[in-house]
Amino acid sequence: MSDLKVGEPIGVLRHGWFAGVDDYAIAGGWTGGGEALVVADAAGGLCAFDARNGKEAWAKPQSHEGGILSLDLRPGHSEVATAGQDGRVVVRRVDDGEELCALDVGEGWIDNVAWSPDGKWLAASCSKRVSVFGSDGREVWRSDDQPSTISALAWSGAGELAAACYGRVAFFGAAAGELRQEFTWQGSLVSMALSPDGEYVVCGSQDNSVHFWRRSTGQDSRMGGYPAKPSALAFDPTGEYLATGGGDTAIVWNFSGDGPEGTSPGYLELHDQLITTLAWACRGRCLATGARDDTVAIWSIQRDGQGKGIGGAILDDIVSSLCWRPDGRALAALDAQGGVTAWRVGNK
Amino acid sequence: MESTQPVPVTILTGFLGSGKTTLLNRILSEEHGKRIAVIENEFGEVGIDQALVIDADEEIFEMSNGCICCTVRGDLIRVLGNLMKRRDKFDYVLVETTGLADPGPVAQTFFMDEEIGEEFSLDGIVTLVDAAHIDQQLGRSDESTEQVAFADVLVLNKTDLVEPQKIDLLEARLREMNRMARVVRCEMGDVPVETVLNLSAFDLDQALERRPTFLEPEYPFEWTGVYALEPGRYGLSLAEGPDPAMSLVVASNQGVDDAALRDGAEWCVRRYAEPAVPLAPGDAIPFAQHVNLELDSSGRKSFTLEVEAADRVGLYTQHTAEEFELQLIDDNGAVVEPEAERTWVAQHEHDDEVGSISIERDGDVDPEKLNAWLGELLREKGVDIFRMKGFISLAGESDRFVFQGVHMIFDSQPDRPWGAEPRTNQLVFIGRNLDEQGMREGFEACLI
Repeated sequence: MSDLKVGEPIGVLRHGWFAGVDDYAIAGGWTGGGEALVVADAAGGLCAFDARNGKEAWAKPQSHEGGILSLDLRPGHSEVATAGQDGRVVVRRVDDGEELCALDVGEGWIDNVAWSPDGKWLAASCSKRVSVFGSDGREVWRSDDQPSTISALAWSGAGELAAACYGRVAFFGAAAGELRQEFTWQGSLVSMALSPDGEYVVCGSQDNSVHFWRRSTGQDSRMGGYPAKPSALAFDPTGEYLATGGGDTAIVWNFSGDGPEGTSPGYLELHDQLITTLAWACRGRCLATGARDDTVAIWSIQRDGQGKGIGGAILDDIVSSLCWRPDGRALAALDAQGGVTAWRVGNK
Repeated sequence: MESTQPVPVTILTGFLGSGKTTLLNRILSEEHGKRIAVIENEFGEVGIDQALVIDADEEIFEMSNGCICCTVRGDLIRVLGNLMKRRDKFDYVLVETTGLADPGPVAQTFFMDEEIGEEFSLDGIVTLVDAAHIDQQLGRSDESTEQVAFADVLVLNKTDLVEPQKIDLLEARLREMNRMARVVRCEMGDVPVETVLNLSAFDLDQALERRPTFLEPEYPFEWTGVYALEPGRYGLSLAEGPDPAMSLVVASNQGVDDAALRDGAEWCVRRYAEPAVPLAPGDAIPFAQHVNLELDSSGRKSFTLEVEAADRVGLYTQHTAEEFELQLIDDNGAVVEPEAERTWVAQHEHDDEVGSISIERDGDVDPEKLNAWLGELLREKGVDIFRMKGFISLAGESDRFVFQGVHMIFDSQPDRPWGAEPRTNQLVFIGRNLDEQGMREGFEACLI
């Protein structure tokens, strides 16, 4: 794919539309039906774009004073939650951007926000605490202080919430917040992914490794040798493959059978700077990777975890996030200049 | 693709009450054209305006391997990680740590975290020292000692609250501990902004551009007296002292503030490098010349000093005025008191655990031996070595080699060609309980 040019997607990526937000595009997400793409920027603005043509449906500049840190679309509802440096979580209707509720979570940055897969609970973390809210916006429970600022949240099914930080991963019951399981490890866990079946919890660590635990046995393993911290991690929808960043090369581990220990992973080499984001399409073992070198690559992952490049594009700046439309027929890429690029994906 | 320069970051450390917030506010008000982001770990003594201020609780992340040089500051990674997404909104970052902060993890964050290292460059560590209290603090806390050891600039603040002689002694003590740092004296945090910002102290590309050495000068004189003199003939009278002779340089037009004294001192260092002219009692002392006063006869001796126009005269003497009961006497036989005095004496009485070792040797070094020696030194003593800098003449290389490091993190690269310049080596280490003799011998063995 050495024939990449700025603005000219190749392979399975086909021209879609281009739009922009006012600042570094931090995070985005499609509505469940793929009608709209919602994008948050570092200055605190939130925008929704029509999936068909990229027309701005609405914009809410200054939605969070100081900037937005996290965004999540509510499963089964046309709603989006954003969290910001202003200590608030705001839930808006995607159709028109109207604010449905604003939650004062705490003093300080709200680093993470995540809806449970059934859309019933909304979790948010502020400094060392995590809070879970019901759909009416009332706080249902709040955790004790964790050992350090919470770096990642993830739901395991609808019933449990995992929170990662320096030194541990903790699982809490969704409804009451009781501590159900914890794994400790002396290292700063900077990212987290749970396998779809709930068995594996995988974290990227500041010491340039990936650490994971089996929840049924507590057995843990560490995969080292990364040149940088793996801040992007993603399981494919089947849970067989885990793609990891942590360098210029994306590494794909095979988690099927007895797990990845002792196996050799797939190495996806194309980017020449650190990988910033990874996203699997809903089917077909198709992985998108984005990097600090402004490039986006689409890979078809083979059984052995090795990948074949099947598409790519160059943006104007660092790729900050990649979001597949739920049907896997379109991919949106966000960049550090606020560019929002959507491609159709397919062979025709 | 991004080709922008990394954003410089200055770290301000110092005990609570040392005046960090005052200095911070001064920087912000003077640099009003610049967009500055401030990361604070403690609520300041006074408020800060004109800047994006982010409060963050100090979080120290140690790694499972137990390596102290892998210890980083999680709060900085998080806040800087977010700031870099808005990097077009500011030009400079100031990090104000608590008085109890260990500067090591703060500095290491910029080398151990790939992304932070790409977007930000550590410009320098500025440590504020409360002249009235640091003496006790140094004895009592590791943190204040390490803050001194890590510093690129030591701002000796609140000097108005302490007797000048005590400050001289304090400065000497600090310089023994950290010979790489520049010492600046001030009251109320009032230092020129250019002495604390844009130092490029960790940047090997610029390592030796401003100054030819990593060492702050060691002065060959111990005392300076500044006298405001009318035209006339004066006598410089000295009693018997510990030595049979004493070197001296007389400077004309000498200012009395800290900066003027330092400028004068640097100028005098160059005069002192010239051969001394011997003077017998009764001789006239020329200005701007290195002279050596012969003092081996008994009783008081007097030399003459002719002042043609009203002048502020600086005497830079090899020993302190006290040791020879030095006096300046006017035509009428009256003793003239100095307008300002400064002692430059190096003090060894404190015997601090933390100190500087500098190795300066001519000649070429065997690269393999050097690697083996440095590797072993860092493995065994890296925990105790806070900072190191130096340049090396590697055998067979036409370029000078520069290095710098923090604990076991070591960074080196070829510098400019030696050209006609004599090939020489300078290594400076600041650390705790370093074996000076062993290190000298170790380096010596690397020479060809």
